[in-house]
Amino acid sequence: MRSSRPTALALAGVLSIGLLTACSTDDSDSPTGEDGKVKITVAGLLPTADDAAKEQLAERVAAFEEEYPDIDVETEDYEWKASTFTTQLAGGTLPNVFEIPLTDGKTLIENGQLADIDAQVKALPYGDQFNEALIANGTGDDGKIYAVPAKSIYAVALHYNRNLFEQAGLDPDQPPTTWDEVREYAKTIHDATGVAGYAMMALDNAGGWQLAAGANSRGGVIETFDGEEYTATLDDPAVAEHLQWLHDLKWEDGSLLDRTDLGWGDINTEFAAGNLAMYTSGSDVYNSLVEANGVTADWGYGLTAIPTSGDGGALTGGTMAAVTKQSTDEQKDAAVKWIDWWYLSKLQDQDQAVADAKTRAEADPAQAVGTPVLPIFSKENYEQSLEWVADYVNVPLENMTGYTDVMFDQELVPEASAAVQDLYAQLFPVVQAVISDENADIDALLATANEAGQSAIDG
Amino acid sequence: MTTVQTPSSLSPAQAVAAPAPVDAAPRRLGRRRLVVDSGERGALSTADWRRPLVKHTWRTMHLLLLVLLVVWCLGPLLLLGKFAFTPTQDIQSTPLAFFPNGATTHNVEMAWNRYHIGQFFMNTVWVAVGSWFVQVLVATTGGFVLSVLRPAWARALNWAVLATLFVPAVVLLVPLYKIVVDPPIGPSLIDNYLAVWLPAGASAFNVVLVARFFDSLPREIFEAARMDGAGPFRLFRSIVLPMSKPIIGVVSVFAVIASWKDFLWPFLVLKSDTVKPLSVYLQSMANVDKGTLMAALAISTLIPIAMFLVFQRMFLRGAGLGGAVKG
Amino acid sequence: MTTDDAVLTDRPRGAARSGRPAPRVPNRSPLTWARRGGLSALVFALPLLLVFGVFSWWPIVSAVVMSVQQTNLIDPPTFVGLENFQAIFADPLLPKVVRNTAWFALLALVFGYPIPLVGAVLMSELRRRKGLYSVLAYLPVVVPPVVAVLLWKFFYDPRPQGVFNTILGWVGLGPYSWLNDQAMAMPSLVLEATWAAAGGTVIIYLAALIGVPSELYDAAEVDGASVWRKVWHVTMPHLRGVLFITLILQVIGTAQVFLEPFLFTNGGPNHATLTVMLWVYQLAFTSIGNNFGEATALSLLLAAFLAVLSLVYFRLTRSWSQS
Repeated sequence: MRSSRPTALALAGVLSIGLLTACSTDDSDSPTGEDGKVKITVAGLLPTADDAAKEQLAERVAAFEEEYPDIDVETEDYEWKASTFTTQLAGGTLPNVFEIPLTDGKTLIENGQLADIDAQVKALPYGDQFNEALIANGTGDDGKIYAVPAKSIYAVALHYNRNLFEQAGLDPDQPPTTWDEVREYAKTIHDATGVAGYAMMALDNAGGWQLAAGANSRGGVIETFDGEEYTATLDDPAVAEHLQWLHDLKWEDGSLLDRTDLGWGDINTEFAAGNLAMYTSGSDVYNSLVEANGVTADWGYGLTAIPTSGDGGALTGGTMAAVTKQSTDEQKDAAVKWIDWWYLSKLQDQDQAVADAKTRAEADPAQAVGTPVLPIFSKENYEQSLEWVADYVNVPLENMTGYTDVMFDQELVPEASAAVQDLYAQLFPVVQAVISDENADIDALLATANEAGQSAIDG
Repeated sequence: MTTVQTPSSLSPAQAVAAPAPVDAAPRRLGRRRLVVDSGERGALSTADWRRPLVKHTWRTMHLLLLVLLVVWCLGPLLLLGKFAFTPTQDIQSTPLAFFPNGATTHNVEMAWNRYHIGQFFMNTVWVAVGSWFVQVLVATTGGFVLSVLRPAWARALNWAVLATLFVPAVVLLVPLYKIVVDPPIGPSLIDNYLAVWLPAGASAFNVVLVARFFDSLPREIFEAARMDGAGPFRLFRSIVLPMSKPIIGVVSVFAVIASWKDFLWPFLVLKSDTVKPLSVYLQSMANVDKGTLMAALAISTLIPIAMFLVFQRMFLRGAGLGGAVKG
Repeated sequence: MTTDDAVLTDRPRGAARSGRPAPRVPNRSPLTWARRGGLSALVFALPLLLVFGVFSWWPIVSAVVMSVQQTNLIDPPTFVGLENFQAIFADPLLPKVVRNTAWFALLALVFGYPIPLVGAVLMSELRRRKGLYSVLAYLPVVVPPVVAVLLWKFFYDPRPQGVFNTILGWVGLGPYSWLNDQAMAMPSLVLEATWAAAGGTVIIYLAALIGVPSELYDAAEVDGASVWRKVWHVTMPHLRGVLFITLILQVIGTAQVFLEPFLFTNGGPNHATLTVMLWVYQLAFTSIGNNFGEATALSLLLAAFLAVLSLVYFRLTRSWSQS
C-alpha cells in the first residue's frame, strides 16, 4: 500500500472531476437545449448490431437533422423484450420514440402509458391510409391514435437451412408443407447429418408466442372473444396437438434441438451457426440474421410458409412505434416526424425509398433489402415500394418463394389481444416441460396454465 | 487436452518422484515466504515429515490436490483462452481438440473492433473507481465520527448503521430502484454512474470495519494531537488517515472486487452504451457468434486475472479477512 | 500481517467501546456545542448520513410501505393492506420457488462445503509452494461472474459435441441435457456456482488454520498423537467457529442467488430453477403489470427469514470472539 498514495491522490482528483461532470451533465434530458432545438431520443438498433447498420442509421439521422434543423435526434440501442420492457417503461428510460409489439398496443393504451399522437399522425399525407386491421391495434377506445404500425409486419413462417436439406438428400426447393412432413424431414436431416432437424423457442414469452403460432396453424386459438368477454383457451386441442408433436420429435425421433433456453435472438444464432435445420419465427427474421448474425445471400437460407392444417393460418404480428407519455408537445411533433422519416416515408415516397435502400445495400457488410413483410398500407402500395427499390434488392428471393407465393393468400390469424403477454408467460413453461420431461402431462399442464391465464385476463 | 489426461499420471511412484525437483528449484520469492511462514507450523511436525509413510502419503495427496486444482480451477480458463483463438466452427464441433484447423485472431478482432469491448471495459473501470471513492470516503469519515470524535449521538448512529447489516440486499432492490428513478432532488439517476456509486457507499460492513480499526489505534496519539491544538480536520488528515492505510487497502480491495462482480444493479440502472459496464454488456452479447463471444469473455477475464496475479497477497489476505471479520 | 491481526483481535474490545456514549456531559448551549467540535462531528458524519439516509435507511422504510401498496411507479400508489402478501401466499409458484431455493442452498452446501475444507487442511500442511496452491484455488473467484456463467453455459451444451458431453463421452457416459433437464438444471447451476466460489472458502479456512497455536500441536505430540489424530482433534476443533460462520454466510448468500438462474435458464425449464430472488426480480421488473408491491412483499418475507439467521450469526460471533 505504501506506494499507492500518489496514485490514490491522483485518482481522488480525477474522481472529483468525474463526480462534478456527472452532476453537471444531468440536465441533458431537458426537451429543448440551449440552442432552442427540440431534442428527442429514438429507438435505434439491436445492442449488438453491425457497425454497418449503425452507420446507415447515423446517415439517416444526419439527413433528418438537415431536413429539420431545429430537431436534435439521438439514437439509443433498443431491443424489445418482455423481460425488460416494463422496467424501462416504469423507469422512464425509454427513448421518446420506442417500439412495441403490435399486440401490446391496446393494453398500453388502456393503462395510459402512451402519448396521444392522433393529430400529428393524421396530419401526415398518408395518415388515413393505414391498413385498418393494423392501425386498430394503436387506436384507443376514444378513437385516437396512440401508436402506428411501423415495421416488420410479419406472418410466422418456416425458416430452413438449404445446405442441411441437401446434405440429407432433400430437395431444398421442395420444403415441407405439413407438420407431418416437417417431422419427417427433421428426422431425415438428423439421421443423415447429426444436426437437429427442428428447434423451438422456449425461453420466456417467445416460447409461448411460437406455441400459439403452432396452435394457430392447426386451427386453434389461445383466446376467444364473444363481444363482451375474453376467455383463455390455452387448453385448446390444437395447443396440445402441437405440444404432442414437439414431444414426439424430441422423445421418439430425437430430431428436436435439446434446448429449452432459446429465445428469439438465441434461436437465430443457433440457426446461423448451423446447429438446426428448421424453425418458425416471423417472416422478416432474415433482416436480423444479416444484421446480427452475419448471414449473407449465398448462405443457403430458405423461407417457406408455416404448414397449416384444417382451418389453420399463419399468426401475424408486427412492430408499432409509439411515443413516451413524458414527451412534451414539441417532442411529440418531432417524434412523429422521425417516425415518418425512419419507418414510413420509405413506403410512400420514391426518393426516400431509394435513399434508404441504397444506404442499406451499399453498407459494408450489406444490409438486407427486400425481405418479404406484410403491407402496412395496402398491397398495391407495398408492391409499388418494392418496385422503387428493385435495383437494390439483395435478399435471395428465389429461396423465399415458398412464402412469397402465398403471402397474400394464406389465412392470417391475429395475435390474442387481451393480456397476451400473460398468456405467453403461462405457455412457455409448458413448452419447456415437454422438451425437458418425456412424461410431461400435457393436458394437466395446459389446464393449470389456462386457469392462471384466465385470471390474468380478468386481472 | 493435456489437463484432462493428467489423472492417468497419478501412479504413486510418479507422484512421489515429482515434487523432488520442484523442491530443489530455487525460487525468487522463497526467502520472503520463509520469513512469513517461519513462526508457524501445521499439524505435521518436522519429525513427522521425516517418516517415509507420512511423507509419501502427504506428498501424494498434495500432488493430487495440485492436479485437481490445475484441472478444475485453471482448466476452464485455459479452455477459454484457447477458444478465443479458435475458429467458431471448431469451437462448435470439436471444442476440446487442439486447434484442428489452426488458430485465428478473427474472434479477438471482432470482439474488440465490432463489439467494442474496450469501451465497456472502461465503463467498468469508472464504475469501480467511483464506487471505491465513495466507499472509502463514507467509511473513513463515518468511522472517524463513530470511533474517534464520538459525539453524544454516536451510539444511536452506530446502531442505525449496524441495523442495516441485518437487512439483506434483496429488500433494497425495488425501493432503491424507485429512488434512483425518482430521487428526492434532481432528475432520474438512470444511466448515471451516481446510481451505482452512491448506493455502494452505504455499506455498513465497511463502516464497521474501519471504525473497529480506528478503535484499535492508541488513544494517546489523538490526545497528544489535541493538546497540540490540532482540530478534528487536522487530526483526520494528518494522523488518522496516514495510520489507516492498511484498512483502506482492505476496503479498497473489497470495493473494487464487488463493483467488478456486480451485475443485477448495474443491469437495472446503467442501460445506455455510454455507461453500461462490461458484465451487463456481455449478457446482451450472449447470442452473438460463439467465437466472438469467447474472445470477449477471455478479454474480460484477462484484466482481473492480471490484477490478481500482481496483487495476489492483497487479494488473498483480503479474502481470508473477509470470512473472519464479516459482521 | 500485524495490522490486520490487530483488526481481528481488537474487534470485540472496540465493539464494546464505540457503542459507549462520550464520557463528557454534553453541553446544551448550541454555541459551545459547535465550538467543542459538535459541528465538525456532524460535518464528518455528513457523507455517511446522506448516503445511508437516501440509499439504505429510506429504502428500508420505503420497502415496508410499498409492500402494502399497489404501485407501478407511474400512477400514484394505492393502499391495499395485506393483499400483496395474500397474493404471494396464494400463488402456486411459492412452494416451488421456496423448494428450489432451499434445494440450491442444500446442494451448494453439499458441493461447496466439505471439499474446500479438505483442500484447506491439505494446503495448510504444505511447506513450500503454498502460494501457488492458493493462487490456483482462488483463480476462479476473480473471474467476473457473468463471464463464468456464459462460459459454463457453453460447457453445458447439450449436443454430443458439448464440452462436458465430449469429456463424459470418453468414458461412455451421456450425452446429458444439463440445463435443459428439469432434474439436472439446478445441480448444474450449483456446480458452476461452486466453481466460482470455492476458492474464497478455501482461503478463509486457510487463514483460520494459520491461527492454530503451535503449542497445541506440540502438546498433542508430547501425548504421542498420530498425524490424523492431530488433524482431527487439534485442527478441526479450531475451525469450529469459522466453519459455522461460513455456513451461515453461505446460506444467507445462496438464499439470495440470482445471477446463475437468471443467466443460465431464467428460471426454466418449467420453473425448475426459479429462485426467490429471481422471482422478486420477475415480479417487479418483468410482469406486464409491474407488480412492485408483490415483489417487495416477497422480498420482506425472505428478509425476515434471513434476519433470523443473521441474528444467530451475530450472537454467535460475538460470544465466540469474547470467549
